[in-house]
Amino acid sequence: MADYNIKTDSRYAVHPDAAIDSLKGALLKDIQRSAYVYRVDCGGCNGCEIEIFASITPLFDAERFGIKVVSSPRHADILLYTGAVTRSMRVPALRAYHAAPDPKICVAYGACGCSGGIFHDLYCVWGGADKILPIDFYIPGCPPTPPATIHGFAVALGLLSQKIKAGEHIQQDGEASELIFPQIPLDLRVEIERQSRRMAGYWQGKSIAHAYLGLIAATLPDGDQQKAAADLQAYLHAQDDPRLSEIMTGLHATCLAWQSSQ
Amino acid sequence: MVLKLIKEVLKVGQATVAYPFQPVELPPGFRGKPEYDPEQCIACAACTIACPPNALTMENDLETGVRTWSIFYGRCIFCARCEEVCPTGAIKLGTDFELASFSRADLTTQAHFRLAACVVCGAYFASAKALEHVLNLLDQAGLPPEEAADRRALLRACPECRRKIDLARVKVFVQEAFDGRL
Repeated sequence: MADYNIKTDSRYAVHPDAAIDSLKGALLKDIQRSAYVYRVDCGGCNGCEIEIFASITPLFDAERFGIKVVSSPRHADILLYTGAVTRSMRVPALRAYHAAPDPKICVAYGACGCSGGIFHDLYCVWGGADKILPIDFYIPGCPPTPPATIHGFAVALGLLSQKIKAGEHIQQDGEASELIFPQIPLDLRVEIERQSRRMAGYWQGKSIAHAYLGLIAATLPDGDQQKAAADLQAYLHAQDDPRLSEIMTGLHATCLAWQSSQ
Repeated sequence: MVLKLIKEVLKVGQATVAYPFQPVELPPGFRGKPEYDPEQCIACAACTIACPPNALTMENDLETGVRTWSIFYGRCIFCARCEEVCPTGAIKLGTDFELASFSRADLTTQAHFRLAACVVCGAYFASAKALEHVLNLLDQAGLPPEEAADRRALLRACPECRRKIDLARVKVFVQEAFDGRL
């Protein structure tokens, strides 16, 4: 095993080659309806693997596009790298790369494969397959859902065009952000948001608080409590969710208590 | 036997979804690509502190007074912590999941904001839009006009200078209150 020493073994360094690059273009054009994919797990959490297998099930059926998962890198046209590339999976990842016949296409799959994801700054992690290999294509997601996987392969194989583009914004003169719920007093809004997070947790808490504030924003300046209560009842009846009813009724009690304390 | 199987198959019909030729049905609460509205962003950096995988980052260039906000979608784990902490609703998770890209550059979005300089010492200390937002919040909180004007003036100075100004005020207050009796 001394041969696989990271520092001394030059066989496992990757040398991108101009001739192979031009062959890659031809490969992409030729394999459109028959792409053999080998999956290399470089220390992922298996979430990505589950989604890859979900996308070859009959429900999503990636084999409609000729995408087939093979069990040896020697059969592969496309290498699918998942996981953040841990120290111990670096050499197996390189061995899989060298075992696949040229020309081959390397795809970084999932947030970890693209950049190391949430593990990017761990001591034992290289932080993405593109740190050790020439990556041709990125499929982000944590994990990418089966539709995202199918979209990714369709783009890589040229069936669809790439959707995401780099964006850049420079602050303009007179650019200003708007206050949210300007008609609702600040301390009432803070109290409602806190109470909602206490009852429903972080993300749901905020969205429920904002739905509630949106409901009472129309009636609060007039102080028409009966109309506010009727609006709330109508909304909760339409949503038909006992959990939401409990939380919003609690928020309404908080709001009424705040109003009477003023 | 075979006929029975064929009958069964015909009854079940086709299970495969038509995606990508037709849009796929997403469940309620699906968290996709974070949609960013730079006009509404105040560059307060709350999202960059909350972001667990550091997909959101912010850098200050103190030479030119520019703060650069950036998101790298390749590292995003779609947890919506940014949406939760955003005080102005500038970032919200949408339903777009089609993020596949040929290059890292296409997975990055950046926004550049101006920093506000302290009126006393001239050092950059906060994003200009964040400062403006705080002043608007003070108005919304309904402070008495005198106190609001006082706070407005104070907030134009950096925290360091604010402390010094406070100290000078305390000194004057003590001198007036005890009239040199200390």
